[in-house]
Amino acid sequence: MKTPTVTFYNAMEKILKKASLQEWVAKLDSHDVYMPAFVDDNWNYVVIDDAKAAGLDFAKTIHSPKNIVFPQREVMFTFEQEKGGAPVIAQTIPDPRPFVVFGVRSCDAKGLTLTDIVFSKEYEDPYYWARRNKGVFVGLSCNEPPDRTCFCVSTGGSPHGEDGLDIQMTELADSYYVKSFTDKGKRIVELGGSLFSAAAAKDKNELEKVHAASMTHQQRPINNLAGAPAKLKDMFTAPFWDEKSKACIQCGICTFLCPTCHCFDMNDEVSSSAPLKGERVRTWDTCQFPDFTMHSSGHNPRPDNASRLRQRVCHKFQYFFENHGVHQCTGCGRCVAKCPVGIDIVAAVNGANDYAE
Amino acid sequence: MVNLEDLKSHVARLLEKGEVSYVLGFQKGTATFMAVPAFIAEAEDAGDLVWDPTCVHNLSLYLTAERKIQATKKQTAGKPIGIVCKGCDSRSVVVLLQESYLKRENVHIIGVSCEGNGVLDEKKLKRFLKGKTPLNAEFDGADHYLIATRDGDVKVPAKEVLADRCLECKDPFPAENNVVFGERVSGGRLPPFTSLDAMEAAAVGDKWNFWKEKLDSCLRCYACRSVCPMCYCEECVVDSITFMVTPTTSPDQKANRVRWIERSNSTSENFGYHLVRAIHLAGRCIDCGECERVCPVHIPVRLLNKKMEKEAFNMFSYEPGRDVNQPSLVSSFRDEDPDGHIL
Repeated sequence: MKTPTVTFYNAMEKILKKASLQEWVAKLDSHDVYMPAFVDDNWNYVVIDDAKAAGLDFAKTIHSPKNIVFPQREVMFTFEQEKGGAPVIAQTIPDPRPFVVFGVRSCDAKGLTLTDIVFSKEYEDPYYWARRNKGVFVGLSCNEPPDRTCFCVSTGGSPHGEDGLDIQMTELADSYYVKSFTDKGKRIVELGGSLFSAAAAKDKNELEKVHAASMTHQQRPINNLAGAPAKLKDMFTAPFWDEKSKACIQCGICTFLCPTCHCFDMNDEVSSSAPLKGERVRTWDTCQFPDFTMHSSGHNPRPDNASRLRQRVCHKFQYFFENHGVHQCTGCGRCVAKCPVGIDIVAAVNGANDYAE
Repeated sequence: MVNLEDLKSHVARLLEKGEVSYVLGFQKGTATFMAVPAFIAEAEDAGDLVWDPTCVHNLSLYLTAERKIQATKKQTAGKPIGIVCKGCDSRSVVVLLQESYLKRENVHIIGVSCEGNGVLDEKKLKRFLKGKTPLNAEFDGADHYLIATRDGDVKVPAKEVLADRCLECKDPFPAENNVVFGERVSGGRLPPFTSLDAMEAAAVGDKWNFWKEKLDSCLRCYACRSVCPMCYCEECVVDSITFMVTPTTSPDQKANRVRWIERSNSTSENFGYHLVRAIHLAGRCIDCGECERVCPVHIPVRLLNKKMEKEAFNMFSYEPGRDVNQPSLVSSFRDEDPDGHIL
């Protein structure tokens, strides 16, 4: 069921004139096409119904494409029971149209590879993969950081990283350099037919120059990323967490906008009592809500701001690393930019690294 | 002019003399140009305090947070807490006093006058700067802000980037205070409730479509509730903990607990959440605008609360947070109160 996210280094490399982008998109009507659109003062991925709406001049999107493969609400099965009868349960595996997401940033694409791990390592989640396998993710390299809060390089990523992408586009002077890594990526490029020309040596030179330049933009550093797991492990009871978390208001913004947070709750939503009818629904949940860890006894093992901030930071920079050998933060900066009270995961990790009791 | 140095030395003196346990104020953030809440407990840290147009937060939220912590730990209130308050913020402290949630002697209000001005709306500024990244913001006279960007300073007319609630604020001055910095200058660049005009004039169907579209994008991150100083309930109707568990509670009872609002971010549940919140704020919301500021998907939450504020004003001539000695709207009755809404 699961398609492994493998990057093929026999990538197909082509050139697309910028002016031909919309024409290419028009040829993809076998797919739903997601494009970044500016709605309500936010960039967000929306399905466009007209190729003329296609464009790739956008800043950071409010949501990552995680929402498309792991929506906030997923119905897992429906149930129904007549009085005295046996319950009838019907699983509801989603069956979306194949889709292409344009303008995926490298941090968000890397985020997908991390949610892939969560939804496949011990248990293959059919709901996630039913959507994930239908998607083609087309990246756009960040020649300039789209926001001041970006720190992908500091988490071991790159503004032109390829992990998690089927296709990577890089903006050159008047064209896009289009690399396709996977079979489904290549098929999407092939649908564009003669709009694409082979990449010449001079294009490749230009690409390398642009990619090299993109690495020179200053980002906020994370000091000693490699040492973070051990350091955080030592600091479980440190008063540091009280200090850093004082202003936290216990909302879910940081985690709900995160491209790698994946926690959920499950509830039965009953729509009728006779006959009993309803749905079992999975919805996002977050370790930042006080009731997330509330036991039915009333005991709460994470009773305060400090333990909840520690959970978020340690999950990203310690636990995930211990379990899967990779940090769970990709440096997209959304939690930093959108925190209502300026809680800053970069400052938290650096503060932890510098912390001495 | 608010003299920041005076404010800093006042705070340092309070802490030196041990008159307050700590002071809630504003300091520079680590990641963006917006100020962030500061918890100043040592006199020498008073130097971290700032006062600029990015001091948007209503810090009275942290007074309610402190009270909850005290309740959990079964502590009594110790020394008063110092709190830097703009006009709107001080009115929210007054509401908490009117509702007996706080005692006056437990709060030391350090007022700062917006001096006829107010604080920035980050979204408006972003639009105004057209892609330039703001690095710093300062007041520049009564009608302008000076915004530093990588490409140099930009003088921005305040009316272009002021938060909507500041444009409509009649009295940008903390009347209830222990000490105040800055002059009292009247506000009211726009008549009160101007922001409701378009909504009230719209046809019912258009209103429905507007709110359906906006509320369908709600993530139920509850930032609007979490940031609101008036949303101090121990248990909220949307939380899964709104259910008393005792040793005799059966698993069946736990599984079948009543959920007034499901977690699904569907139209009906999102409406349920936002309308419950708006109604619980009627006659209590002082329009600090924090709910709308923090919304990551830019739902105009403030309009709902503003409408409730207007209803309370029209029906009962009631303005929340104006006077500590005035009883709160929902706990008072006057013979002349209209009763047409009582079924």
